Amino acid sequence: MSAAAKETSSSIANRAELLPALKQELSKNSSLSRTVLASLADKTGIPLNEIYGVSTFYSYLPVVAAGKNIIRVCGCLPCDLKDAQGVIGSIKKELGIEPGQTTADGKFTLEMVGCIGACDQAPAMMINDTLYGNLTPTGIAEILKSFK
Amino acid sequence: MSNVNINIDGKGLKVRDGTTILEAATSLGITIPTLCHIKGLIPTGVCRVCVVEVEGSRTLMGACHTPVSQGMVVHTQTPRVVAARRVIVELLLTAHTGDCVNDTNAENCALHNLASDYQVGAPRFNVRSPRFYPAEETNPYVVRNLSKCILCRKCVRACADIAHKNILSIGYRGFRSKVVTGFDEALNSEACRECGICIEHCPTGALSAAPGFKALKGGAVR
Amino acid sequence: MAEKRIVLGNCGVIDPQNIETYLAKGGFKAFIKARDKMKPQGIVEEIKKSGLTGRGGAGFPCGLKWELARNTKAKTKYLICNADEGEVGQFKDKYLLSNDPFTLIEGMLIAGLAIGAQQAYIYLRAEYHSIFNLLAEAVKQAKEKGFLKHTDILVFEGAGAYVCGEESALMNSIEGRRGESRYKPPYPPTSGLWDRPTIINNVETLMNIPHIINNGAAWFSAMGTRRSKGTKVFCVSGDVARPGIYELEIGSSLKELVVDLAGAAGIKAVQVGGSTGSIIPLRMIDTPLSQETCLGSGAVVVLNSDRDIIDIVHNDIRFLHEESCGKCTPCREGTEVMLEILGRLMRGDGEAGDINKLEDLARAMALASLCGLGQAAAVPVLDSLKYFRDEYNDLIDQSLFLRSYLGSESYKSEEVVI
Repeated sequence: MSAAAKETSSSIANRAELLPALKQELSKNSSLSRTVLASLADKTGIPLNEIYGVSTFYSYLPVVAAGKNIIRVCGCLPCDLKDAQGVIGSIKKELGIEPGQTTADGKFTLEMVGCIGACDQAPAMMINDTLYGNLTPTGIAEILKSFK
Repeated sequence: MSNVNINIDGKGLKVRDGTTILEAATSLGITIPTLCHIKGLIPTGVCRVCVVEVEGSRTLMGACHTPVSQGMVVHTQTPRVVAARRVIVELLLTAHTGDCVNDTNAENCALHNLASDYQVGAPRFNVRSPRFYPAEETNPYVVRNLSKCILCRKCVRACADIAHKNILSIGYRGFRSKVVTGFDEALNSEACRECGICIEHCPTGALSAAPGFKALKGGAVR
Repeated sequence: MAEKRIVLGNCGVIDPQNIETYLAKGGFKAFIKARDKMKPQGIVEEIKKSGLTGRGGAGFPCGLKWELARNTKAKTKYLICNADEGEVGQFKDKYLLSNDPFTLIEGMLIAGLAIGAQQAYIYLRAEYHSIFNLLAEAVKQAKEKGFLKHTDILVFEGAGAYVCGEESALMNSIEGRRGESRYKPPYPPTSGLWDRPTIINNVETLMNIPHIINNGAAWFSAMGTRRSKGTKVFCVSGDVARPGIYELEIGSSLKELVVDLAGAAGIKAVQVGGSTGSIIPLRMIDTPLSQETCLGSGAVVVLNSDRDIIDIVHNDIRFLHEESCGKCTPCREGTEVMLEILGRLMRGDGEAGDINKLEDLARAMALASLCGLGQAAAVPVLDSLKYFRDEYNDLIDQSLFLRSYLGSESYKSEEVVI
């Protein structure tokens, strides 16, 4: 039993599958709701509180419903130097939302995140798995419009 | 299992290899303060109050979880150690909301006592938005006052490793970490009925017995 | 000194989706040599002799780490490639993985032979999901060539947590737990993933391995400085004309990197090593980039004279606060308190005791935090106080003046911004 397992003694054999399982549930649902996690708890034998504790640790395993497309604007130093706040402003102008909010039609959720590894193309953002760098106000508007 | 020779605060000692610094110090009659330690359970090393100076190490080491090694020289009360402990206590007091002075549990509060031992008064620090939670008083067994929680995790470990009920976990991340049950709901489990082990281990007033709740002596139903 | 593209050598030259292009350039020769002509202990010795140190930021001697794992008796051992690149200002691993996954695979396979690991993982951060398939396909092609007989490789994706770049948090993540740090000892080479001996190496560290096996330890150790051998891949961003990735011999000066190659001008300071990196003022621009001075992960962010140092430190601490796992007191509470102080300073609401508070906090965090995140959070704070103390004092003086001029009550309600 690993030292970490001993710390909390949740030594369920299939614990190693938990992160991939959560990702799979997320691909079928827009968030990891109580119903989804409770059924995963039944299936795996891992207590609901443990699964909740794991999900809520990670940024990519949301337990609250999010929009169809997740915009992640980098707010770290290199992007901040290149006016990440301006990017937020442009997105607010186009979509009317602030970081932490979702558009009324459920199309976009906006988040401010840590470094996404595009510092030489600052300011940068991700929408879902796609990276957009060297952002400008007109560029941002075009990118957002391209999402039907 | 071989023995090793170590030195703590100038006193020499021969102990079994793998003994922790805390265990070795205790056997020498040297007190090292702890907040998150539960004797007999695997340590978590989260509170960092038990940190000590180990010669040759750049950082301080947690006494509760660091095993001794041949020739180890430990100092438990250097100025660096005392300064670090005082800041840690000060930080725990900062995050603490709730009026502990008028709390009947306050005399039994390990944090309160530690602050007194180390002469830490009102903290200098501020946080932007404290971890305030309204008291949960509807549970027939355990009253939770999470504003006083210092996130030592003793309740989580006691519930899992002593009572074997496993209904408590840590949720969220960083400063917003919280002891959660279920989907972060109010504690409402029949698993608590004849237990109370978490209350026994909570070092502050975060967990207390609901009026009329008499847990079995020793905690868990076996 | 000009760039020395060794680790970057295949990038833009081979087709990352076709192993044949890699084989045509001599790919997997080092692995075959290691597998057929060298004993595992011999591979470890060669890496030890080369002086290769970790390229992820901690800079631990690689060969020594492998030897510890090699010498721990266990049936099962693990190798993990740390591709969780989340450090602020860092983007080299994404570039390396996207353009030359095969050198990484070859390096991993040699490491697997050296330590006796049957299973290896590439822990890829969730934000790099777009290259997951490319990596998996590269592994598949290597497997089809019969190279994965001793060590199987699995690409494991993270779930969005910078702290999972810390090796013990990373292991907890693979184990299906919260990505919190573990106390050490035990260290991974003796007891790591599921208690088994585990080696965790950065992408760039592993990509040096085939070159060392092919060209020899002496070739490698002829480059660099006494404590840090070889070349380093740097990522330059911020106030520079030519941001990007540059590979230089270790020991090259910061000036060569940011001024000569990246075109920086009007520099005020450079932060070397990411969010917990040293802040180097202009007058020290000739500092050699090496483990003896300042190296870290290779993230280099240049700040010009328009920038306020406290803005920079505030940004660093805001990031660390967000990403702190929350397990230990000094980091969980300390990053929040530091953020409160730095935020107030920036808003013109500083107090006379703020510098002392920051210093006391930084010292306690550096000494008592459970892992490198909390320990190194002290670095930008203490460096900025060392080299730019005047900026802090000026902000505090202005705050004190305004407070006395406007009166405490009305001052607070104005939310004056300086």
